[in-house]
Amino acid sequence: MTRWLLLFSTALGTIVVGVAVGPSGLDLRSVVGGVLGSAGEPTVTIVRDLRVPRVLLAFLVGGSLGVTGAALQALVRNPLADPYLLGLSGGAGLGAVTAIALGAASPWAVPLAALVGSLGAIALVYRLALIAGAGLDVRVLLLAGVVIGAFAASLMGAIMALVPAPEVRNALLWLLGSFSRASWPAVLLFAVYAAVPLVILYRLARPLDLLTLGEEPAGYLGANVARTRRTLYVMASLLTAVAVALSGIIGFVGLIVPHAARFTWSRLHQTLLPATFLLGGSLMVIADAVARTAFAPLELPVGVVTALIGVPVFVALIRKWAA
Amino acid sequence: MSSRAGTVSLLALLLACGGEQGTVYRVDHAGHPVDVVAPATRIVSLSPSLTELLFAIGAGDRIVGRTRWGALPRAAEAVPSVGDGLSPNLETILAREPDVVVLYHTPTNAATIDRLRAVGVATLSVRMDRLEDVPEAARLLADVLGDLPGADTLADRFEVRLDSLRRRTVPSGSGPSVAILAWDAPPVVIGGGSFLSQLLELAGAHNVFADLDVPSATVSLESIAHRDPDVLLLVGGGEPTVLDRAEWRTVSAVEEGQILSLDGDSYSWPSLRSLDLVEELSGAIRGVRS
Amino acid sequence: MIEAHAVTYRYPSADRDAVHEVGFALGLGEAVAVVGPNGSGKTTLLRLLLGVLQPQYGEVTLAQKRLSQWTRRELARLIGVVPQREDQLFPLEVGEAVLFGRYPHLGALGLPSARDRQAIQRALRLCDVAHLANRRVSTLSGGEWQRVRIARALAQEPRVLVLDEPTANLDVRHEMEVFELVADLVRNEGLGAIVVTHHVNLAARYADRVLVLDDGAVRATGCPDAVLTEHVLRDVFEWPVAMTEWSGVPQFVPLRRREVEGDARGADRALGREAERNGAD
Repeated sequence: MTRWLLLFSTALGTIVVGVAVGPSGLDLRSVVGGVLGSAGEPTVTIVRDLRVPRVLLAFLVGGSLGVTGAALQALVRNPLADPYLLGLSGGAGLGAVTAIALGAASPWAVPLAALVGSLGAIALVYRLALIAGAGLDVRVLLLAGVVIGAFAASLMGAIMALVPAPEVRNALLWLLGSFSRASWPAVLLFAVYAAVPLVILYRLARPLDLLTLGEEPAGYLGANVARTRRTLYVMASLLTAVAVALSGIIGFVGLIVPHAARFTWSRLHQTLLPATFLLGGSLMVIADAVARTAFAPLELPVGVVTALIGVPVFVALIRKWAA
Repeated sequence: MSSRAGTVSLLALLLACGGEQGTVYRVDHAGHPVDVVAPATRIVSLSPSLTELLFAIGAGDRIVGRTRWGALPRAAEAVPSVGDGLSPNLETILAREPDVVVLYHTPTNAATIDRLRAVGVATLSVRMDRLEDVPEAARLLADVLGDLPGADTLADRFEVRLDSLRRRTVPSGSGPSVAILAWDAPPVVIGGGSFLSQLLELAGAHNVFADLDVPSATVSLESIAHRDPDVLLLVGGGEPTVLDRAEWRTVSAVEEGQILSLDGDSYSWPSLRSLDLVEELSGAIRGVRS
Repeated sequence: MIEAHAVTYRYPSADRDAVHEVGFALGLGEAVAVVGPNGSGKTTLLRLLLGVLQPQYGEVTLAQKRLSQWTRRELARLIGVVPQREDQLFPLEVGEAVLFGRYPHLGALGLPSARDRQAIQRALRLCDVAHLANRRVSTLSGGEWQRVRIARALAQEPRVLVLDEPTANLDVRHEMEVFELVADLVRNEGLGAIVVTHHVNLAARYADRVLVLDDGAVRATGCPDAVLTEHVLRDVFEWPVAMTEWSGVPQFVPLRRREVEGDARGADRALGREAERNGAD
């Protein structure tokens, strides 16, 4: 029980830190005043309409990516799986880059295009994997994901080779991931949308446990392997697709946080998934805080920071595990 | 090759002097030795800004290849394209049999330069970031390419005009504050290292991101909101989509509709015509604020 | 409990049946061993009996109900399976691994009840692995891991236990422990047990009935005395054997070449010595 308390307070703590720091250099009293509404403009606007939604979005996206990573690692029975394994990032990138290249006018054009691209990739991979039977053969799933992802990436490369330099830069920046799009509508949209896949994935916690044993043993212990795999794949992919549409492709969180949670917490998904959510959210909030304050007013792509944080953490974990 | 380098360095020693009329350039802006035999009659330009400048100083008829991008002088459209400036097609360039290939000076072009020089093609890297780079570039091109008598005059005239505009400008801080936005997600602003920032100063306004020495940089939206510019200048074309986004309304200039959209290549790179824009710019800014 | 009538199965793109018109029956409180050479269809038969594969001909019933009418969860509450192979993707603790055995009884959410914990404790005790409850499964020996997997199957509180090659990589002591354990469970708890094994001699000594498969078909079925004859074994395993006995159960001895070719006296001597030892009991 105390462990959960610790985790919750850590998560809350990172949120507080995330709201407290920023490139504007506001001191703690101003920040509190901003939250309460007692400080003047533009402090209140900055804190309430920029920082708070941004920190919340980062937390939700980080948590979702962690959960997706854990679920996919169980699905494909491979500890190196991450949310983008199944071709999704290629599709999203292709959609976004196309929208940028065409100079799309609407502010939601790029996220929508990324979402459409993701869904296209998901559908294609799913369809391909069904060829091996309704059970979504995992090997075919992996191969299909790699192939579709590579195809989309090459199309993306072709588009980037044919458009002017500024568009290329903009596309690359999008691909590296950022929470600059965060706003209250975006946060609410994501929260509402992500709730369904998250709940469904949580309810699959026990079948997820069984899947790690292998297809046959899982079936012998009562799991409906084919249906579990299908649901798992669709829910994890949809969740990731929305996260990517809003914030680009941010790596490492989905790969490393599940391992960190397993190592320090539990391998049983009923506790692993919530723990991964809280840890992933915390990590993302910290990474975003670093991204926007380390070289203020310049902003680093948050994917760069998650990699910088993620790699040493991973090395430390490996050493403890090997010892 | 080494004896030639020796001769060249000797000449450099004998003929080197400051940036005035009659300067002989032996090293380009990337530090490579200039080994073009003047007059160069076949020029390939891998930069739209340099293509424009070449036309302006009278070397337009010598251009045998140019990149695709940018609206150029009518006459330039007749010149065959050699593809993209970012990753140029070596074969197409060589097929034009250039005496020299002219490029914009940036580290990302280093590989291209190496490849061209490895097959024996002469290259010339020219800096074109700020206003003062323009007359310098004109002089460099005139000297290296040879037989361009008008170039020095144009360069001088530009410098004189720039000087007078500078003296006329009120000290910054009293004019309107502006942020120049090249892209919105993530926000990319124009910094002090760009000619746009200089034009802004000459127009009597002040770039809130002038403290960033680079031509452009990704910043956090919060910084823009915090620095609170009076006017938001959008370059790079496209509709001002920032108006429709909740998170951008935290910038008071967006909330109040003080947004200016600047189209066209004149704002994409510095040229001999850049100083004409100062009036236009200051007028537009005044208009938006009223 | 489990019955199969003339089941036949052919894998897609195979040119012969893996299992051909095989009949099978298992009641509670008895142990049936399934033996046969590699490729004789033992694992395929298991998969058919457990509903993983659907026979192209014939049918399998559990408690008189067709297998296809059972859900996987219901099956898991009745049949505990210890498969030949399984992955250890993320090393669990023994307690967690055995907990999986309760999953067929648990809902999607909700914590294990006292009843569940009781079943787990009992399973751990029966398999003598209770002292290993907090160890990581990756630190266990082969024998300990096998007993843990059996404990997991027991935690399901099944009526039938199915073990596929449970002693494949175990040494003598651990192998005997597994067979003793299964025999105890059949005798004391009244479970039915199906054991697929290579170890024909042990199967004969522990099982109530033996099914000999050869090339997908039943070569012999019935009590060990009736089934384990020199004729059947030599035919099925394609190797000369000599038969002997231990505690009234037929045991076979695969012969060395020199014991067979030409050296008839050597063969007799080999057999004679065994008979003397048996007589000394």
